[in-house]
Amino acid sequence: MSELVLKMEGVSKVYQLGKRNVNALANLNLSIKKGEFAAIMGPSGSGKTTLLNVIGCIDKPTNGKMLIDDVDTAQLPESELYKIRRNKIGFVFQNFNLLPYLNARENVELPMELTKKSKSERTAKANELLATVGLSGREEHRPQRLSQGEQQRVAIARALANDPAIILADEPTGNLDIKCKQEIVKLLANLNINQGTTIILVTHDGQVAAHTERILFLNDGKITREKEGLHLAKKNICPYCKAKLQPADEKCANCGKTVRFRKKPSAPVVSETGKNTPA
Amino acid sequence: MAIMIAVPAGIAANQSATQNLTGNLSNTLTLTEATINQTLTQIDCSLTPSAPSGFGFSGNFTPGQFNGGGRPDFNFTPGQFGGGSGIPGEFGGGALGGGGSNPMNESLYADINSSIPGVAAVAPILTVSEGHNVTVTFGDRSFTRMVADYIIEGVPLNSSIIDKYPILPTNITSGRNLLAGDSGVVVLSENNSAYFGVGLGDSVTILGQAFEVVGIHGTAGASDRTTLYMSLSDAQTLTGNTGEVTTIEVFADNSEDVTAVSSAISTMHAELDVITAQERLSQLQQQQTNYDTQLANAQATLNQTQSQAFEEIIVAVVATSLIVLFVMLYTVRERTKEIGTLKAIGFSNRTVMSQFMLEGILLSLMAGVVGVVIGSVAAPFLSSVLLPTVGNSFGSSFRFVGGPASTTAVTVNPELMLIGFGVSVVLGALGSLYPAWRASKTRPAEAMRYE
Repeated sequence: MSELVLKMEGVSKVYQLGKRNVNALANLNLSIKKGEFAAIMGPSGSGKTTLLNVIGCIDKPTNGKMLIDDVDTAQLPESELYKIRRNKIGFVFQNFNLLPYLNARENVELPMELTKKSKSERTAKANELLATVGLSGREEHRPQRLSQGEQQRVAIARALANDPAIILADEPTGNLDIKCKQEIVKLLANLNINQGTTIILVTHDGQVAAHTERILFLNDGKITREKEGLHLAKKNICPYCKAKLQPADEKCANCGKTVRFRKKPSAPVVSETGKNTPA
Repeated sequence: MAIMIAVPAGIAANQSATQNLTGNLSNTLTLTEATINQTLTQIDCSLTPSAPSGFGFSGNFTPGQFNGGGRPDFNFTPGQFGGGSGIPGEFGGGALGGGGSNPMNESLYADINSSIPGVAAVAPILTVSEGHNVTVTFGDRSFTRMVADYIIEGVPLNSSIIDKYPILPTNITSGRNLLAGDSGVVVLSENNSAYFGVGLGDSVTILGQAFEVVGIHGTAGASDRTTLYMSLSDAQTLTGNTGEVTTIEVFADNSEDVTAVSSAISTMHAELDVITAQERLSQLQQQQTNYDTQLANAQATLNQTQSQAFEEIIVAVVATSLIVLFVMLYTVRERTKEIGTLKAIGFSNRTVMSQFMLEGILLSLMAGVVGVVIGSVAAPFLSSVLLPTVGNSFGSSFRFVGGPASTTAVTVNPELMLIGFGVSVVLGALGSLYPAWRASKTRPAEAMRYE
């Protein structure tokens, strides 16, 4: 798990706003290992979206090296970059960005349209991915007939279509209510654990970020702070001291901190007669 | 789009009508002139008919058909020049107003041969048309006229005449021509043969009397397509015109004598309508000049219509391309986020561009289909409103087909439909070129924008 899927060295991005130069990214270094689940946090204007665009080959960095699977995308022309986007990157957007006139399966098939896969292979893969995100039986539904949480699941399935090296999720929970938010975070966490998908998540939401394994704080175009998240415990590593955990441990044997929370007891159900009955 | 289809349809119809007319006129004139030149020594004498004389065109005109005749009792098949009691192989007398349908006693005019110097021969001829009445409607008027099923022409089978002068059919396709002294036999035209359903050697019953078909003649002149030939006496007996003829053909010794002979005949028999072949020729030439003028007028009108329609087409084409351009630009702008998404998930510039081009082309092809359907339904109505009526430019004596009726001939044919589809594909491609290029240049980051 030590192989680097993303390596950024001295990456800077300068925008020209009128006569002023804005350093959206300033000499940024970042490495993401294969199978990592990272969150990028930071205030507005800190360069989060620029960073994501640069990683996703949507923007080109002004300076620096940008290695995705050992290919320096900073040097590639647009005629090559779209292939990187198609094959190496999976995008998940805040607004889902599903095509409204295509049903769930067709939306998932879309990134595979331009690959060598046959139509039946594509359909089979799309159905499999929709099952992975828990949408079996909803393949024929169009986006407007899906809830927002479900739409985001379709978008995640679409991002996984070409088995990308990295999933880039830009505020994936930004438009969702608390329940959907938890579902999506859990889905991403499970994808990371079960399929080893590398995920980079940009969020404002500390709670969401806490569920990843590595939280990066971005400020003025630089990574200023880094912290471990609770997700590490799911990989049986103590988020605080990196000691190896046993699957059943609630507290770290090494540092004594609580790493897993016991499930809360179910709240008593109030019956129609007003009497409390045990669940 | 409908108007775009309708306008060229109208032009095409008017154009083809005029071209047909032009072709027919020049064919007919050439043919007739050639025939006249062969028989310059000939003088036709007949009673002045009661019908108005003068060359007139009347009746319904369909492309390819030239309908005419001074009297309303002759039928003309396409490409045929009007004819009446004329001699086979010649222009018809009726066409020049000579008229010959009034029978006269042949013995009254025996003095033409005996007392006028310079007369080489006299051939009395009886021409009788047999036919049925039909009612022809064009515009808001209708006419009843007789359509000749066949024309009986009785010629004197006298070797001194038929051996020297062209009064018998000249183009025998099978069998033989009439011979001096023949009786009870006929030479049919090919049309007659089909009409009666008989062939060479068969017996044919004409007006209740049986004749033997000894020959079939092909069409030499324009007037003899329905004319059958028999001896004068047979014809007189058959049609109840004993001793009567409709035309006396006088042949002068040579062409220099023609004028003197014809004036002598006129002096002797003032009641006769005397016309020489030479006069006919000059009359025809006069007619030809008139036609030329009229055709030039028609051509001018057509050219005007065409240039007008061309302007309309240019305007329509430009407007259509602009509409496609703006619609596609709007579409691209409205779908910026979608395009950004497509590019973010790995669509290349080329794919995006071709998708939008295809969309524009499909859109305008669909519009083309709708336009052709509407156009084919609406073209006749639209063209009667939009196109000038060619007929109005002609004098009342010359009814050019097509006048008000020409617009009903407008149809949208398959070629026009194909042109319509082709034009819509080209315009769709043209109009969506820039919007598609704009779409392909959309930055994928647009998909990231929050709304």
